[in-house]
Amino acid sequence: MTQYLVKEGVKNLIHPDEQLITTHCCYCGMQCGMHIRVHKKTGKVVGVEPRYDWPVTRGKMCPKGVTAYQTIEHKDRILRPLIKKNGKFVEASWEEALDLIEKNFKRIQAEYGKDALAVFGGVSMTNEKCYLVGKYARVALGTRFIDYNGRFCMSSAAGGFLKTLGIDRGSTLPWTELEHTDCFFMAGTNTAECHPTSIQWFWRAKDKGAKLIVADPRETPTARVADVHLDLKPGTDSALANGIMHLLIKEGYVDEEYVNERCNNYEELKAMVEKFTPEYTAKITGVAPEKIVKAAHIYGRSPRSVVMFARGAEQQSKGVDNVSLYTSMALLRGQIGKFASGVATFTGQGNGQGGREHGQKSDLLPGYRKITDPEAVKYISSIWGIKPEDMPGPGVSAYEMFDEIHKGTIRAMHVICSNPAVSAPNLEYIWEGLRKLDFLVVNDFFLSETAEFADVVLPATTWAEDEGTTTNLEGRVIRIRKVREPLGEAKPDWMILSKIAERMGKGKHFQYNSAREIFDELRLASKGGKADYYGITYERIDKEDGVFWPCPSEDHPGTPTMFKEKFGTPDGKANLAVVDWEPAGEEPTEEYPHYLTTGRVVFHYLSGNQTRRVDFLKEQCPVPYAEMHPELASQYRLSNGDLVKLTTKRSSMVLEVRLTKAIRKDTVFVPYHWGKELAVNQLTSACLDPVSRMPEFKVCAVKLEKVSAKEVKAQ
Amino acid sequence: MRKIMYLEFERCIGCRSCQAACRECGGHEAKERNYVEYVDFMESRQTYPMLCMQCKDPACARVCPANAIQITEEGVVLSAMEEKCIGCRNCTFGCPFGIPKFDFEANKMYKCDMCYDRSKYDIAPMCASVCPSDAIRFIDFDEMQALRRRRAQMNLVEGKKPQEGNKWEYVPEFFGVYTD
Ligand code: SF4
Ligand code: SF4
Repeated sequence: MTQYLVKEGVKNLIHPDEQLITTHCCYCGMQCGMHIRVHKKTGKVVGVEPRYDWPVTRGKMCPKGVTAYQTIEHKDRILRPLIKKNGKFVEASWEEALDLIEKNFKRIQAEYGKDALAVFGGVSMTNEKCYLVGKYARVALGTRFIDYNGRFCMSSAAGGFLKTLGIDRGSTLPWTELEHTDCFFMAGTNTAECHPTSIQWFWRAKDKGAKLIVADPRETPTARVADVHLDLKPGTDSALANGIMHLLIKEGYVDEEYVNERCNNYEELKAMVEKFTPEYTAKITGVAPEKIVKAAHIYGRSPRSVVMFARGAEQQSKGVDNVSLYTSMALLRGQIGKFASGVATFTGQGNGQGGREHGQKSDLLPGYRKITDPEAVKYISSIWGIKPEDMPGPGVSAYEMFDEIHKGTIRAMHVICSNPAVSAPNLEYIWEGLRKLDFLVVNDFFLSETAEFADVVLPATTWAEDEGTTTNLEGRVIRIRKVREPLGEAKPDWMILSKIAERMGKGKHFQYNSAREIFDELRLASKGGKADYYGITYERIDKEDGVFWPCPSEDHPGTPTMFKEKFGTPDGKANLAVVDWEPAGEEPTEEYPHYLTTGRVVFHYLSGNQTRRVDFLKEQCPVPYAEMHPELASQYRLSNGDLVKLTTKRSSMVLEVRLTKAIRKDTVFVPYHWGKELAVNQLTSACLDPVSRMPEFKVCAVKLEKVSAKEVKAQ
Repeated sequence: MRKIMYLEFERCIGCRSCQAACRECGGHEAKERNYVEYVDFMESRQTYPMLCMQCKDPACARVCPANAIQITEEGVVLSAMEEKCIGCRNCTFGCPFGIPKFDFEANKMYKCDMCYDRSKYDIAPMCASVCPSDAIRFIDFDEMQALRRRRAQMNLVEGKKPQEGNKWEYVPEFFGVYTD
């Protein structure tokens, strides 16, 4: 089978001594199509070639995508297992490493019980791997403590969608339709920087006159091109959404027929938003009332609109409320389930969608089945070949696993495809937890900040050394191809997990020779669930440019548009959200008078463990900084390039000041991609959303002090 | 080659993908030849890309005493020829767009050549291929003309060009008038 896929008439530059392999980017949820250039004779990766005919991204890539191939043969790759001896890592054989893991896992479980082991997964890897992580925790280790880094990323979107629509699929429509949309309402998303290749769709729509409304405390590159920029205070999204709905109702923009037929709670919602007049909303959000009115009119009158949001609205202790309310805005306008309209979240991680569907979450089994549902447990047990009574119960969320470590319940942890030592909030607590562990195993291909705490580091492969599938932010299942053989002794995560399973005496449940075999098992495991992959095959993905789930059988076309006839709730009706605004977990006080919010820059991905090692990206953005308005800065006599000490209730750090008027005067912004003393997550608040257990990365209260370089050195 | 490079500055989102991609072009020795700058970071996040204008009568070639800067039959202004460039740096001062850069180690200039190894086959240069916002496009001359006309049309419909800070006041509240 050919590895280079391209439609007729599309030209690529192919050097005679090279071969192109068709795949997707390893980073964000856009999953941009690309070809990787491989030297035929040596099998080495030499570069990247645009994939012009991938329908979602059309050859376009952000700088991370362009340079992604450079991580594959990077000099920092871990090529052999590492074991910590006397505080230093030394190389070891796989046998030695596995022996040590077996010994410690068995000892700890014998002494403290099965649940003394925990698994911390991630979703920047294929569906096959994500699926296996869930099975590994429950079958191989038999622990109930499994959760994943999606809790720091998309879990509020999942919670909100589940509550309102009954099924959590990141986008209710395929994004190739976006160019026909008349209005985008975007909240808490800096998509121009975080999902850059999506911007082509918004521009294309704008070229035809579409309107863009952006709610963000900063005038980001996305907000800059907006028609209305709602510059709200951090943590006031629910007030803004209620305020817009107040106006939609008052001005008669509600699609009454749709709402009566397809939604619950309309009367209750009306009563709730009654008080959210533009003036009242303005008082809470800090946005001028005229702007709110303008936005509501534009949004209310546009025939086809899409409401979109991302981490800005989700990473709050009211994340689920925010998502439900924004989704309700789309419902009031009768938009969901129709052409070029609906609601969508910008999934952050490459496989943030697929990775959360198949059992990495503490309370879920493959196909979005609930672990508390005996029928689901029975079905999955039969696929996995275990007794239903051996299925562990639900565990706790990612951050709460660290509470369990501090309590002494969790004694050992296996971290796979994640770097909580950078990405979790309130980092000092996390670091202390990692130190407290009896035994820590980390799979990674670069020595991450988390891996530095480990007792054993296992060399995993990059995305390009294994095949599999991911599910992009539309819900389209796509194919990742193997570009080259694994470097050194690195192994794909599924192989590593299978080997440990064997050591734990569960080898017979993990007999896989290839990722494809795991995918076939996953298809079966998801069959009949909400996220049904049963009808999806590798061949269909190639032929059809990806397949949208749910796809219950091989002759089913897949589901690009969700909820055309009914919603995923038991009664088939959407539940409009009836929730009041409540203040964030931490609001500014006299001592900590300003807001601190965190986010990303275009040059780095998540905890930066990969992108901080790529020359171009490092040159463009080597260190974090504190972005603030000159008016705020002048109160502290700070000018561009000065050092400022940021202090929150948890910790403090020193950063360089970067002045711009493109931010609210009461808010300081710091990007989060760095570890150790450069990690802004030392300062962030661990106040969790009650439903999604998402920490509040986007809002906390901060104090500013000017410091000199001398003072910093003296410390 | 019938295609041209078309820049629309206001579309630029400042991702610098064009720069990263420039390094990836086969003939470019991993050095970028274009640049992206903020218009004024204090005021807004607006950025703009700049690449070689492939001038008809290029200042860089005109000021080169060694005749090192060649122009192809398609009109692409190439990087200096290795064996001819004497390293005088005249071109870097001559170009009004600041495009030619100087490699002090190799003592020679290098500049944007529109990814000649791609564009000579009508394959888009790397920057135009990857640019997520279509701020840089590699399109037919006719397509460019159509885009220009469309701009005039849009300005007529919107009536006023938005001003800084109160853009939202000028947004028309109707739809469908100028959609396809
Ligand atoms: S990081 Fe995201 S937007 Fe950038 S190239 Fe990769 S998938 Fe595309
Ligand atoms: S790739 Fe396009 S959007 Fe990005 S900086 Fe370059 S011109 Fe601007």
